[in-house]
Amino acid sequence: MKKIKVEINKKLHELEVCDSELLIELLRDRLGFLGTKYSCLEGDCGVCTVLVNGKNVLSCLMLAAEVDGASVTTIEGLAENGVLHPLQEAFIDKGAVQCGFCTPGMILAAKALLDQNPHPTDEQIERAIDGNLCRCTGYVKIVEAVKDASKKINPNDQISISK
Amino acid sequence: MEINHQINMIKNKTVSPVGKSVPRIDAKAKVTGEAVYAFDLKLPGMLVGKMLRSPHAHAKILKIDTSRAEKLPGVRAIVTAEDAPKIKFGSNEYFFPYTVDQYPLEFEKVRYIGDEIAAVAAVDEETAQKALALIDVEYEILPAVFEATQAMRPKASQIHTAMNNIGVMMPFNFGDCDKALAESDYVREDIFTLPSAAHAALEPHVSVGRYEVSTQRITLWTSTQAPFKVREAMAKTLKMEAADIRVIKLNVGGGFGGKLEMFPMDFAACLLSKKSGGVPVKICCTREEEFSFTRRKHPMIYKLKSGVKKDGTLTAITGEVIADGGAYCSYGPTVVAAAIMRISMVYKITNIRLMGFRIYTNNPISGAIRGFGGVQSGFAVESHMDMLARGINMDPAEFRLKNATDPNMTTINKLILSSNGLKDCIKKAVEASQWKQRYGKKKDKSDDIAVGIGMGVAADVMGSKMYKAHESAGTIIKVEEDGSIYLFTGAADTGQGSDTAMAQIAAQELGVAYERIRVKAADTEITPFDTGSFASRVTFISGNATKNAAFDAKGQILDIIAKEMKLDKNDLDIRDEQVVKKANSSFVMTFDQAIALCYSFNYGHLLIGRGNYNPKTTPVDFRTGEGNVSGSYGFEAQVAEVEVNRKTGQVKVVKMIDVHDIGYPINPSSVHGQIEGSIVMGIGYTLYEDLKFKEGRVVNPSFSKYHLPRSTNIPKIESIFIETHDPQGPFGAKGMGEASLLPTAAAIANAIHDAVGVQIKDLPITPEKILKALKEKKAD
Repeated sequence: MKKIKVEINKKLHELEVCDSELLIELLRDRLGFLGTKYSCLEGDCGVCTVLVNGKNVLSCLMLAAEVDGASVTTIEGLAENGVLHPLQEAFIDKGAVQCGFCTPGMILAAKALLDQNPHPTDEQIERAIDGNLCRCTGYVKIVEAVKDASKKINPNDQISISK
Repeated sequence: MEINHQINMIKNKTVSPVGKSVPRIDAKAKVTGEAVYAFDLKLPGMLVGKMLRSPHAHAKILKIDTSRAEKLPGVRAIVTAEDAPKIKFGSNEYFFPYTVDQYPLEFEKVRYIGDEIAAVAAVDEETAQKALALIDVEYEILPAVFEATQAMRPKASQIHTAMNNIGVMMPFNFGDCDKALAESDYVREDIFTLPSAAHAALEPHVSVGRYEVSTQRITLWTSTQAPFKVREAMAKTLKMEAADIRVIKLNVGGGFGGKLEMFPMDFAACLLSKKSGGVPVKICCTREEEFSFTRRKHPMIYKLKSGVKKDGTLTAITGEVIADGGAYCSYGPTVVAAAIMRISMVYKITNIRLMGFRIYTNNPISGAIRGFGGVQSGFAVESHMDMLARGINMDPAEFRLKNATDPNMTTINKLILSSNGLKDCIKKAVEASQWKQRYGKKKDKSDDIAVGIGMGVAADVMGSKMYKAHESAGTIIKVEEDGSIYLFTGAADTGQGSDTAMAQIAAQELGVAYERIRVKAADTEITPFDTGSFASRVTFISGNATKNAAFDAKGQILDIIAKEMKLDKNDLDIRDEQVVKKANSSFVMTFDQAIALCYSFNYGHLLIGRGNYNPKTTPVDFRTGEGNVSGSYGFEAQVAEVEVNRKTGQVKVVKMIDVHDIGYPINPSSVHGQIEGSIVMGIGYTLYEDLKFKEGRVVNPSFSKYHLPRSTNIPKIESIFIETHDPQGPFGAKGMGEASLLPTAAAIANAIHDAVGVQIKDLPITPEKILKALKEKKAD
């Protein structure tokens, strides 16, 4: 057992975690952040993506103990005071959501990209979400949505050149 | 009341939503992570369940001893076949009762690696896993057979009682094929080989069962496309009344045909809950179980021999299809039917003779998967057609146009094609792809890279009877006193967007804003019956039921207004949140005022609209293939543009053009989304998806070994609608969830031929196969 302090969705948690406890288990099973999805538990599909210190990680490949002192964002932490993040808005507007199982991880992977690179090209978007599987959409509308959000986040920026 | 006021009131609301890309009704819950899936369910005291599966591909069960496992601390219940009535279940029982061949828990014999024998419920996963290892099963190993062609041989090991392991034999036979072939100017024979594939829905199968001791009733939350089908099979195998079993579908993380049946884990979760005294039990598939032990695509071998006249007239299509069905029948008969009977929807052909064989093997169970057998047939037939066209030096697009079916025709097997945009689809695809300038023209982009263009066409049903005599769907709409509207449908939205489509259809028919509608779907105790989400049937069948329910509710409202205002009901309508006079659209009252009137002192009329729909079809005679299986049919043409690297054999799909007769799009964005998703799934199956087996065991049961298309693998996709306004479809709409997957593989294979002159006849089209074919071509 280890005591950790971790900020999750801007709220500080002091927790005791087992050595073998995965971050996905802590988030889903103990804290009830069910938007962090479970699909392969092998690091292949991306549905359990969360942000740790702003970087997208697979919560099934990370131990809970490793987030001691870190800041974690799950999909539940994206909207502020009930106002959706532009990525969430864009996923709705562009029809990028079908079954929704990949959606939380996909949006978080896209957020990590836009935080680093506010106006990515289509290719950069495709590369950034390459670790996140989607079986429904064929990714077309997801890429469109990320692009749309990037414009909304930076309305004054020039539209980047697509491939 | 002034009209201006009304306009303000409906600001930010979507009136007349049909034909508009309104946001999905469930999208907000999904982007915030609030949407609840069966996988997320956690009930008080819930136990973890696990299935004990056979490690052998074929064996007699001599003894099952659970006593050691029962003694393990933390184990709450263990079930075997002895805990239930030992009744078999199946999926195509209406037309094919002899294919009902699987026990929920086997006790005499196991027929594949993964066959379920027992299940345990324990306080945690570790204990459940340990308990599985403590169940002692004695087997007598039997010879196993893994190839369909070997399983058909007289001396092959007998898997069920079917002679030569032929589980299903299905003919499709019209005209005089031998005569037609003899009179043809060009005849060719081809063999195509299709591998297995996985559905790979991101939400694994999950079952949460709860038995209520006081009432002896069951509630099952399961990730399913067909809750009423699950209820029926549960009732049958547990020998319970269907009314005592409640199946609830929550959000479903994708299905693609893989969640269309009751699974032994559904059965076991409920039985374990019963045995543990009513404590809920949850069983989840791991990803490995998902790939290895759920359902998979039928591998098939197509042998085709067909003839044409010099002028391009298709004279006869003959051949046989051999499908590896695995250990049990599942939806096998329908898959074989779809694999051989779609041809006449696409091609005007009077001489056709195909025999479909579905063979039992000791491989995992083959079942339904998006397109049923149409994906396999799409690759084989559409590759074959290209080769026939080339054999008489005819442009393959011209060839297809010449032989394509027409609107308002009855085919040789009595399919009634009413609206049919196939020829328009082909013409539009030719235009959009600049086919005439590009097909058969200069091919080299660089020294190594050649470009090519290829076509495939397809047709699809919207509905098919599977397990009942009817395929009705029903909808209930209640309009509350405060003007809120609840829609109850049995249709199962698994991500394709049917809840949204139902809400749009209801709002349109009722004349109100889309935002008023709340959809409550797929709970067998609360919602009307619906056979399930398969055969692209929901928009067409459940959509018509919804339209009828909304029409009924509207009629009740207009009755009261007509009475109160001394008007003729037939002169009134509700449009865009207002009651209006039909003749001049003049304002009578607002919808809210109308509802207030209905619920006023004098009337007090609770508004509950009812609707149902059962498509007009005729029974299919499975001795010949005659019968009209669906209420209407959808059509499409696809063009692939590829680049082939002659040195590496690598294929890059540059662009896909899909032209689709969708009748009319209820939600254009959703329709495009279905098409894009299908095409990308199709590209996966064409180029790299291949569920591989060794002696009955899946050897690539993970996303790292079984490759799904990723965001970096997608081409540019252009999706174009042909609107034929189907006379039977709700607002002219047709079903379309599967058709776009059917022609993709052939379009790509034909484009590869256009690029480098080799036709690959077995999927997936790997670089090795292309290099080998190029080498052989050079040697010729």
